Amino acid sequence: MATRHHYDNNNCDIGVFSKLTNAYCLVSATTSSTNFFTGFESKLKGVIPIVMTSIDSTGTIGSLCVGNKNGLLLSHTVTDQELQHIRDSLPDQVVVQRIEEPLCALGNAIACNDYVALVHPRLEKDTEEIITDVLGVEVYRQTIANNELVGSYCALSNKGGLVHPDTNVEEMDELANLLQVPLVAGTVNRGSKVISAGLIVNDWTAFCGSDTTAIELSVVNSIFKLNESQPDFVVSEMRKPLIDTYV
Amino acid sequence: MYADVVLGFRQKHSRPSFLRRLVSLLNPPKRRLDCLHQLAKMVQYNFKKITVVPNGKTFIDIILSRTQRQTPTVVHKGYKINRLRQFYMRKVKYTQTNFHEKLSTIIEEFPRLEQIHPFYGDLLHVLYNKDHYKLALGQVNTARNLISKIAKDYVKLLKYGDSLYRCKCLKVAALGRMCTVLKRITPSLAYLEQIRQHMARLPSIDPNTRTVLICGYPNVGKSSFMNKVTRADVDVQPYAFTTKSLFVGHTDYKYLRYQVIDTPGILDRPFEDRNIIEMCSITALAHLRAAVLFFLDISGSCGYTIAQQAALFHSIKSLFLNKPLVIVCNKTDLMPMENISEEDRKLVEGMKAEAMKTAMGASEEAVLLKMSTLTEEGVMAVKNAACERLLDQRVEAKMKSKKINDHLNRFHVAMPKPRDNIERLPCIPQVVLEARAKKAVEMEKRKTEKDLEEENGGAGVYSASLRKNYILQHDEWKDDILPEFLDGHNVADFIDPDIMLRLEELEREEKVRLAKAKEDDVEMDVEELSEEQKLQLAAIRKKKAVLIREHRLKKTVAQNRSTVPRKFDKDKKYTTKRMGRELSALGLDPSSAVDRARSKSRGRKRDRSEDGNNDAMDVDDEQQSNKKQRVRSKSRSMSVARSASRPPADAVVPGDGFKDSTQKKSALKISHGSHKKRDKNARKGEADRVIPTLRPKHLFSGKRGKGKTDRR
Repeated sequence: MATRHHYDNNNCDIGVFSKLTNAYCLVSATTSSTNFFTGFESKLKGVIPIVMTSIDSTGTIGSLCVGNKNGLLLSHTVTDQELQHIRDSLPDQVVVQRIEEPLCALGNAIACNDYVALVHPRLEKDTEEIITDVLGVEVYRQTIANNELVGSYCALSNKGGLVHPDTNVEEMDELANLLQVPLVAGTVNRGSKVISAGLIVNDWTAFCGSDTTAIELSVVNSIFKLNESQPDFVVSEMRKPLIDTYV
Repeated sequence: MYADVVLGFRQKHSRPSFLRRLVSLLNPPKRRLDCLHQLAKMVQYNFKKITVVPNGKTFIDIILSRTQRQTPTVVHKGYKINRLRQFYMRKVKYTQTNFHEKLSTIIEEFPRLEQIHPFYGDLLHVLYNKDHYKLALGQVNTARNLISKIAKDYVKLLKYGDSLYRCKCLKVAALGRMCTVLKRITPSLAYLEQIRQHMARLPSIDPNTRTVLICGYPNVGKSSFMNKVTRADVDVQPYAFTTKSLFVGHTDYKYLRYQVIDTPGILDRPFEDRNIIEMCSITALAHLRAAVLFFLDISGSCGYTIAQQAALFHSIKSLFLNKPLVIVCNKTDLMPMENISEEDRKLVEGMKAEAMKTAMGASEEAVLLKMSTLTEEGVMAVKNAACERLLDQRVEAKMKSKKINDHLNRFHVAMPKPRDNIERLPCIPQVVLEARAKKAVEMEKRKTEKDLEEENGGAGVYSASLRKNYILQHDEWKDDILPEFLDGHNVADFIDPDIMLRLEELEREEKVRLAKAKEDDVEMDVEELSEEQKLQLAAIRKKKAVLIREHRLKKTVAQNRSTVPRKFDKDKKYTTKRMGRELSALGLDPSSAVDRARSKSRGRKRDRSEDGNNDAMDVDDEQQSNKKQRVRSKSRSMSVARSASRPPADAVVPGDGFKDSTQKKSALKISHGSHKKRDKNARKGEADRVIPTLRPKHLFSGKRGKGKTDRR
């Protein structure tokens, strides 16, 4: 089940301040209280390592790194100490690497699950190779609803994906074939189109910004198969409420 | 209080016109509904933000004190008449502007009944009477115009004011007349203020959202139902007309939020006789596109028989047109549905049949429902039926609209077609799967960072250790301090994940080398030096040490010492003799070096003259060929002429490109001649400093005035 969560004082963009994968969870260390961290702890403690860190002393770690169960790529702005801290905190099978990519907001430029990655069309050739090697994924240069920042406008797991609400049907089908997971177009945080800022997800759990409505939450639950419901639920049960809300 | 006022007005004005409007609404033309729908989307209804309307007296006080405070107050009869006129004109104009501003706010902030959603338009009409409301606003508008006109007139008059006194009188008259105008609209202002206060307390009903409307006779259990399905906490009392106005609550059904409106009870009587309280319900029924719950008290404990209630149903059934209607038989705890009399059953069936006409394909169960708010039996079924039918209707309408095409992608799940044979399985840790399997068992409470924070002084005091969760080979390594810089190097640059491997490799290599060294140990043994060699070595070392010491000494002193030429060297260290000695000690022939070092100065005169004579004679011999050289040699000392190591100017140097010195000389001569003229003419050029006039006339003529030394 997806959990509603917020950063500091009702900042709903939790995806900016954290990163969740099947093997680890990174949490921003720039807030003075432990509320944000504990929110993740309550669901993940004892399952995967939760790491409190910053990147280049900023809390926006979700935008500055990209990773999956195989590895973690950090923007070139990360300091040596932070890199070492993350290396020490993660298990050895996770490869942690810093990459010299001009588009340093990796989290916004790259979206990936454990098998496939969608990347910004203007990413460096070298970076693409590093992604393939470190994260162990197939890399596709794509846009989502004419947005180059593919990482910002979708949230992926190995079971499903939520994409920008303006993605048209053909594009969704194409992306679904590339990713090999069911996709649905939707919003989070009461209509926010920036999906990855409001939602972080892995194969068994998800966290959304606290503004997320019940209807958005149930779409998330069903597309990522977080409870018993299946992706079809969106077109069967949810259809009427969705139509009444959006049209 | 307002109700009395309003009631009075209402009975005086406009009942027939209002009726006509309602009747026309019962059969609304389609076009009109469409445009209403559009309008409603644009407007937000918040009547809480209307500014307070001050009463007449306060209004005048506010304006006049403002004029007093914000315009200049000091004036003198001695001022020029223009200034006096300006002074008073400003006061008049400023007062007028303030009046205009304040009155305009009132006019703009109060909603225009034609421009807001018809539900609110009619509700406000029912509550406050449209004519009176418009009249009051109209009066405010007139007052505003009158005041502007007064100001204009008096400003014109002030242009002809010829003294302070006259101007002042005109100003007083102008302000006085403005205040009189305002005083005349005092009752309208008071009325508007009352309305404002009442409007601020109206429930915030959104006319366009999903709405469930509860209606029926008084005391049939409408408010009880409201309290059951929402958290509105409406007052419930066992007498009629407990609810005197509209109340709003919210409830959830299928991920959506529904607005539930509780209306006051309606009696079955002609429109003319209905009071304000009933008219609120009628307005809501007429204008809100909602699911309607018609409550029927089948026990009759409300004081009205089923027949009476059925009559009401039939008299207002035109209001249910095009709306999902549910007939709710309440209070089944007092009288089960089966026990009602045959006539009553017929009446209920008649109502059901009527409701089925507009049911739009809904089943019979969804039209007539039984419920008891006391036992809560059937309450949720009623809510669900109403919400479901409303949702169905709204979705059906929306499916027909054009906008649906823009959102089709939202209702589509893109399922992947397999593109290869790779299996992409989710990776869920075993722990999670186990926890899921024993779902019933409570997850044990683990200590979170939050708990630790609370225990250790709360937020801002507690700082979580970042190192405690490190995954390292040995736990005691966690607290090891890793320096950032060491010996001027960034430590991180030297961190290598494979360092242990490399260390092992190195150690192995070293071991091999050590073993080899042991083998070669014998051969490596150094021969002993002979006695003579030892002495030599000692001498070399000693000398080296001395040199180093001397050098260091010199270096330490050198900073503070001016350089002294060697000829003033007190120790007579650097003598030719010594040089000769040292060179010969090294086994070199010192004669040429000593010769070179000797002074090449002119020497004693006698010696020189002897040489000079010879020279002169030589020169005389070759007078023709070498005239210049002779001249030079006579006029200058030999020693300073030119370094002995350098060849004379006309000597042929290989690589010069000349055959012999004669050729070189003639070439040089031609060369000198070629730029002779240029050299002469180039004595003064534009780059040279020029002072055209040394004493310019304008700077050196005229007398100096008193204290005017800087400029003449």
